[in-house]
Amino acid sequence: MLHILRPASFLFLALITFSGCGNNSNAPSGQTPSATGAAYVLKSEPSGAQGIKAALEAAKENNEIVVVGRIGGAVNPWVDGQAAFTLVDLELKPCPDSEGCPSPWDYCCDVDLLPKAMVMVKFVDAQGKTIPQHAKSLLGVKESQMLVVHGRAKRDETGNLSILADGVFVK
Amino acid sequence: MPLRLLPWEYGIRNVFRRPTRSALTLLGLTTVVLLVFVVVAFIRGLEASLAVSGDPNVVLVYSVGAAADIENSAIPARSASLLAASLQGVDRRFALSYVSPELYIGTRVTVDQDRPASLGIVRGVTTAAPLLRRQVQMIEGKWPTSGEVLVGRLLAAKLGCVPQDLAIGNTLHFDGRDWRISGQFTAGGAAFESEIWCGLEELQQTLKRQDLSLVALGLAEGAAASDVELFCKERVDLELQAVGETNYYAALQTHYQPVRMLGWLVVLLVAVAGIFAGLNTMYGAVVSRVRELSTLQAIGFRRRAVAASLIQEALLLAMAASLLAAVIALGLVNGTAVRFTMGAFALRVDSVGILIGCGTGFLLGLLGAIPPAIKSLRFSIVEGLKAA
Repeated sequence: MLHILRPASFLFLALITFSGCGNNSNAPSGQTPSATGAAYVLKSEPSGAQGIKAALEAAKENNEIVVVGRIGGAVNPWVDGQAAFTLVDLELKPCPDSEGCPSPWDYCCDVDLLPKAMVMVKFVDAQGKTIPQHAKSLLGVKESQMLVVHGRAKRDETGNLSILADGVFVK
Repeated sequence: MPLRLLPWEYGIRNVFRRPTRSALTLLGLTTVVLLVFVVVAFIRGLEASLAVSGDPNVVLVYSVGAAADIENSAIPARSASLLAASLQGVDRRFALSYVSPELYIGTRVTVDQDRPASLGIVRGVTTAAPLLRRQVQMIEGKWPTSGEVLVGRLLAAKLGCVPQDLAIGNTLHFDGRDWRISGQFTAGGAAFESEIWCGLEELQQTLKRQDLSLVALGLAEGAAASDVELFCKERVDLELQAVGETNYYAALQTHYQPVRMLGWLVVLLVAVAGIFAGLNTMYGAVVSRVRELSTLQAIGFRRRAVAASLIQEALLLAMAASLLAAVIALGLVNGTAVRFTMGAFALRVDSVGILIGCGTGFLLGLLGAIPPAIKSLRFSIVEGLKAA
């Protein structure tokens, strides 16, 4: 009987292993900043940080701005291949563990509040262009991480605020 | 001294010496391998349908609140013109933007008044849709005008009717009115192939809706899907999300992962059941041939040569069964349309399927024959010759 069971169990294990090892995320894991990204990571926390909600209200076009928040606001808060992500106000709390949410940084329990508590952060080069590298690998950051971001405010014609960032402090 | 094997013809002749037993074994093995072919064809068909549905140059823009389900999406009608005007990377040719506003709904569709309605997928489109859905090819009829629809080649499978019911000129009934079929299209096995396409504005009027489900954007050379993604995330007020079409269907592949896993489990269970059936048959064959096997040893063939001949017989039958099953699968199973939640897809007996099916057949023969062959090695020659 062992002669039969051994190959069968091997086949089963092989099928489970090969079919289960797919990784659907194209995003890099993000732990340490890259050589380019190190220039953007601040050694000390910039002063005068304000919450995202306050920044959305008060920020003026092209003014210097410092905000504090958490990376999140969607299951995928990143922009693939670009140093950009959404930052959420600290007043909003990620979904508690008791909800069994697999991605608590998407704030699925407070979806209605997100539009008025979330801002897009783009890390830009000297020419003002978004750096063409995933923010995770550029800065070594990950979802739900609390950041203080320094940069300049940019508003579009409908009032949406983006931050053209030049520095980040990971809390 | 090298091992002297029994002649190759001996094993072949033995298969034909017991025609009934051989035929029954062949039939059993063919059934097992055919079942494997059917399940693998199901998995491969599902994978292929989702894989060919996405175009790397197309980005889908839909509502943030719809999560991963476009059917639940509702975005303002102005989104299409706004995206076309705001994004630099949208392809444009002959003053025509590659922007396809679409309304995508699941609804009850009646083919014949005497039969109950079935769930069908209806897509309201403009003439921009074929610019982006490059797999779509009209094979019959004409582009729909007022009160008309185009139907995909696999729609009959989705609605559970015969293809003749969807001939040009016939009528479908959904959302409270009749729609005349003006043409048919294929889409290379993509999900669109089981859909009904009609004019966007007419569908909006029928449903009393002014919104869209999605806007599909064709990217110009050098443009990236992330540019659209960045735009949607910056324009928080629009509440849009952008996903590359290939990523969208790749995510659906993940969604159907449990179904595929279940399919592979069925393949495994069928194969194991087949091995036990093969074992049973081969044990019977060995027991009834003790005298013959002992005689072969008495005239000088070594036990290993006799065992090898038994395995050869089993493999001959198993591989013949595999080939037979492959022919049946290619003739009867390949291309058969199967209904599933997103539409329908065709079962696919491809090279991978044939390799897995025939490989399973080979394993059935080999693993089913080894234990009886080992048993045959343990017989005492003297006792075997005395056996009745």
